[in-house]
Amino acid sequence: MRKLVLPLAILGTTALTAPAFADDHLRIVDDPVELTIHMHWPRAQGYEVPKTGEPYPVELKARELTGVSLEDATAGKNSTDSLEAMNLLIAQGNMPDIVGGHLIKQPVNEYGPQGAFVPLNDLVEEHAPNIKAFWDSHPGLKEAISAYDGNYYYIPYLPDGKYGRAWFIRQDWLDVLGLEQPQNVDELYDVLVAFRDQDPNGNGVKDEIPYFARQWEEVNRLLTLWDARSSGSDTYHDFYVNDEGKLVHPYAQDAYRTALSNVAKWYAEGLIDPEIYTRGSSSRDYLLGENLGGMTHDWFASTSGYNSALADAVEGFNFIPFLPPESAGGVRMEEHRRIPIKPDGWAISYTAEDPVTVVKYFDFWFSEEGRLLSNFGVEGKTWDMIDGEPIFKPEVLNSDSPINSQMYLEGAQIQRGYWQDYRYEWQWTSEAARKGIELYDTEDLLIEQFLGVALNKEEQTVYDRYWPSIRTYMLERQQAWVLGSGDVVSDWDAYIETLNDMGYEEVIEILNTAYARQYG
Amino acid sequence: MSTDPDFTGPTTENLVFDAAEAQRRRRGSTLVRIGDHLKREWQLYAMLLPTILWLIIFLYKPMYGLQIAFKDYSIFRGVADSPWIGLEHFNTLFNNDQFLRAVKNTVIISFYSLLFGFPMPILLALMFNEVLNQTFKKSAQTIVYLPHFISSVIIAGIVITAFSPSAGIVNTVLGWLGIDSIYFLTKPEWFRPIFVGTGIWQEAGFQSIVYLAAIAGVSPTLYESAVVDGASRWQMMWKITVPSIMPTIIIMLIIRIGNILEVSFEMIILLYQPATYETADVVNTFIYRQGLQGGQYDFAAAAGLFNAVVAFVLVMTANTISKRYSRTSLW
Repeated sequence: MRKLVLPLAILGTTALTAPAFADDHLRIVDDPVELTIHMHWPRAQGYEVPKTGEPYPVELKARELTGVSLEDATAGKNSTDSLEAMNLLIAQGNMPDIVGGHLIKQPVNEYGPQGAFVPLNDLVEEHAPNIKAFWDSHPGLKEAISAYDGNYYYIPYLPDGKYGRAWFIRQDWLDVLGLEQPQNVDELYDVLVAFRDQDPNGNGVKDEIPYFARQWEEVNRLLTLWDARSSGSDTYHDFYVNDEGKLVHPYAQDAYRTALSNVAKWYAEGLIDPEIYTRGSSSRDYLLGENLGGMTHDWFASTSGYNSALADAVEGFNFIPFLPPESAGGVRMEEHRRIPIKPDGWAISYTAEDPVTVVKYFDFWFSEEGRLLSNFGVEGKTWDMIDGEPIFKPEVLNSDSPINSQMYLEGAQIQRGYWQDYRYEWQWTSEAARKGIELYDTEDLLIEQFLGVALNKEEQTVYDRYWPSIRTYMLERQQAWVLGSGDVVSDWDAYIETLNDMGYEEVIEILNTAYARQYG
Repeated sequence: MSTDPDFTGPTTENLVFDAAEAQRRRRGSTLVRIGDHLKREWQLYAMLLPTILWLIIFLYKPMYGLQIAFKDYSIFRGVADSPWIGLEHFNTLFNNDQFLRAVKNTVIISFYSLLFGFPMPILLALMFNEVLNQTFKKSAQTIVYLPHFISSVIIAGIVITAFSPSAGIVNTVLGWLGIDSIYFLTKPEWFRPIFVGTGIWQEAGFQSIVYLAAIAGVSPTLYESAVVDGASRWQMMWKITVPSIMPTIIIMLIIRIGNILEVSFEMIILLYQPATYETADVVNTFIYRQGLQGGQYDFAAAAGLFNAVVAFVLVMTANTISKRYSRTSLW
């Protein structure tokens, strides 16, 4: 990098247009500038290659292109809890220029208005044409990350791609039993009963678990089959925006009452894993590996992966995505989708001497070159441009290590504020998952997500006072009803009354006030 | 002390006292005396220093931060600059039914742990003491110590598996007895027995070390004379061993009572479910869910302070009662 500076400085006055310096249009500063950065996220605690401490190849390239180099100054490196690391950083007081990583939205929106972070609205407007263009082409997202004062304080990590989870079923079991893929909730019921009773795994024992899930919360996904909701976002038990445009909670709606009574019925009949609440994250490995599980709701890519992983272990194993069955009300809906905007990314702290340079640097990652760099790594090293498409080199695609793990070591796909490019993931998505995604694309299954609201001080106080207890109560009742202690239909009025006594209406009111302020 | 009130000659006691008195008179100010004292005993103070530093740094200095229980704390503003809000956090706390339920659960779970868990290590230690075969004694001790060294996460995994309705050993045995399998970990009425039982299994062995050490300190002459008097092993245990280790037992009990609100909440978090909150949710898990998960340090500090105050009162009470009735006490 430094080698470049001298000729640049000499030529700078006379030959700015020289084609020899084609990279020059990305340059932010004439003299190299060093900025410090806090970057804490699950895969790495620090802005450098983990373990070796070398700068990322992507960082070196970015230095060369922009003249800005980032020096690691991450707090809380001995913990993998990013929120804890962030709190530690803020409490220390001595903040680096850039604060980034996992789950920064809440702290940034809480402490930004207090002066800890620089509001980005005007800076982006004036100095960041690429980010501005992104906001303009994606209306509503900028509002979603705003704090209660109307400013936004971080540039988020923006995932690409539509689908997250899908409904998976053992097609080979269906074939053995001579059944078709269920197209509605009644057919699904019949299929699950057949899975339970007709020994599709052929071992002579009635040990099949018709529906299972790695996260117990996924049992709630069945609620959508009776037109209720389980969540409004990719976080479990979240609020959602109803048809009148009002923010409500799924577990306080009438549809939930009917839907949950059906889920409880399925549970009682043994169609749902009896150990759904305690089996835990290894249940998918176990139930598929032992040829016991029939259906689940889980991520496209990782779940499809079992087809190759278990090809030898389970004869004929074929676990594929199928379209969400039509609900009782005739709707096909896939409630889960990728969130378009993450609470991860990076922000400018109040200690940054020159926020303009920092925001220009942030903008670099939204330029064409920056976006390719942040997604695929360094051109010529990990990928080549073939027919206008970034294609990973064969040694990257065929490596034993997953592509994302390889990218993390390059400094690509890390949780800086950047816009993900789905072409990165598509290249290493298995054939089964690609087929599933194409299948899901044939219908309009996805619904709008609730991207969160920023509460002001008073609203936050109300929320904190009532909501955690209400949520606890809702989940307690929910599990009790599914497990058969109590009956949701007969307990319903008392349940709603208790929710109101606990302050449900107050919470909904402040949320809607905040929602109207933010998105209205 | 002396049986002869008229005896006025110089006893050793008086000589020592006179010498000290003379030395004191020869010395100058208090400062000089302290200086001399330090010069003479500096090795002892040097040994004391690390512990005192540890206490100051890790226990006394953090007490400064307790004030956030009465403040609207912002980590960015810092402890000193956050505004005071009085007892608001405590108000919120005591107006929350789930907090009160958590307090109730904490007391009940602790009480059960104390009732069933406290005697266990004592019984174990007494039993180990009676074992004559050294090989058996050593291996039995090792086996009961082992669970202490296993992380709670693994213990919880073992418990979940053992009580699983499909593959768990407990339900398998129940099945042999013709009893339908029970999904134990979602039944509120089963949570406390499972939790307390797990705690005993995990810790009783290790805690018995203290009592074994106390038993080792009992003078052998007592047993020898008891043997001469024709006492049975049973009598020796009840008349010599137990009374001799009673001070240790009392001290351990007082410490246990002081920790009564400190239920090992990481274990509860690993084992509980919304379905069992009713009996399983304790103060610390409540704080965790309400406070720390949402980054409300001030609120969590208020709940923690409440916990500490109750624990302090309990220790004081236990200590006073013990002092009055058994003359054994912590201070």
